[in-house]
Amino acid sequence: MAGARRDRLSFKSSYTPAPEHRYDVGDRVVVKRAFPPGHRRTPYYIRGKQGVIERICGAFPNPEELAYGFSGKPEKTLYRVRFPQQHVWPRYAGPAHDIIEMEIFEHWLEPASAESPAVMGQTP
Amino acid sequence: MSDRPLNKGPQDIGGEPAGLIDTTDHGMRFWERQANAFRSTVQANGITCTDELRRAAEDLGDEYARLQYFEITTRAMRTVLLEKGIFTEDELKAKMAEIHARFNVPDEMESPLKKKVR
Amino acid sequence: MSNPNFDYYARAKQEHGHDHDHDQDDHAPVNEHDNGPPSDYEIMSRAMQELLEEKGLITAEQVRRRMELFEEEFPYRGSKVIARAWADPAFRQRLLSDGRAACAEMGVMLESERLIAVENTPAVHNVIVCTLCSCYPRALLGMPPTWYKSRNYRSRVVFEPRAVLREFGTVLPDHVTVRVHDSNADMRYVVIPMRPEGTEGWSEEQLAEILTRDALVGVTVPSARR
Repeated sequence: MAGARRDRLSFKSSYTPAPEHRYDVGDRVVVKRAFPPGHRRTPYYIRGKQGVIERICGAFPNPEELAYGFSGKPEKTLYRVRFPQQHVWPRYAGPAHDIIEMEIFEHWLEPASAESPAVMGQTP
Repeated sequence: MSDRPLNKGPQDIGGEPAGLIDTTDHGMRFWERQANAFRSTVQANGITCTDELRRAAEDLGDEYARLQYFEITTRAMRTVLLEKGIFTEDELKAKMAEIHARFNVPDEMESPLKKKVR
Repeated sequence: MSNPNFDYYARAKQEHGHDHDHDQDDHAPVNEHDNGPPSDYEIMSRAMQELLEEKGLITAEQVRRRMELFEEEFPYRGSKVIARAWADPAFRQRLLSDGRAACAEMGVMLESERLIAVENTPAVHNVIVCTLCSCYPRALLGMPPTWYKSRNYRSRVVFEPRAVLREFGTVLPDHVTVRVHDSNADMRYVVIPMRPEGTEGWSEEQLAEILTRDALVGVTVPSARR
């Protein structure tokens, strides 16, 4: 068991390769406006919001599957996405240039169309 | 279940109104430090993973908001270890009773520390 | 079976006799006030631990060793790493490019952490949270403070970060961008604060002393007063 642990933690970089990544840094994306039950790592408050890819973190096992004892493979590409706070919160009190960033898995993202409004639809 | 928006888990609280923050770090009690080390060891030994423990915490539903941090993590650990058949509910109950008995203080040996607390 | 480690009085004596310097130390204080009978949760946690030990799935030594790491090792690493980033601009760039690899360079071997360092500048102030639970770079900073794990911090810092920062005594002018990081998946974060004036020529040890844990999470800024 100790050997397995050493292997699990022996990786050198914060990032992993994600050769099949769908999105590039700078791409405008929208977080899916979906509200499925179960374990999700996409916060409720960001669903349906539009942002920009800030960096590609790599490919990782899907936590939504790991949570239930599955392998989480095939791995999914994880991105950091940047959002203007004023587009996330209807009554954001700070300046327009404040931002919030978080990690979103590829399957939770869609490309923003040229006409995408900043907020798509009502959140239930 | 309380009326939260559709499928919003009890842990998913970003953006919810809340009160002032107690900005003092109150640290951890001995048992909490030990519970943390236990949780860390269980994961290191591959018995469970962070994701399963998080999901089990989230499944506490309405209790989640009422429990303290290490109460939540303890309950989550219990759920996952039972799920995996590591022990049974009966085994756990028996062990808890055994430990509880070790703490029982007979009246004639009343702890001087307890007296101070009162 | 009587277990001396679990003797209520022995433990209480050990706690009260223990030498702590935590008044001077901004790292997680040890709450010594464990007087009184244990809660059901304490008993439950201990019961699970003993059962797993009895079944040979973990050892008491492993648990003890983890406790030691969390208390004696992890809390002191973050300030050392960031102090080096202050002192050495090339290291700072490597830390910004790949947090985990840069820590390893210094002999700070993280555990599962995929570390991202974010730097404060005159134009940007960073602050870290995990709204969904309490993700935190534990092998770099130790255990998160109670406020970081609190519902009020987790829910409010994402939508009113400036008000939250004010509660910590940190006031940022409007021209500074506040950049909140919700640590919600595989990555973990540490802030590189701005190095204050008046620290020119300081050694890394001296710099580390003013790099408080709260500054590395982004709720305060370091001051040259020690």
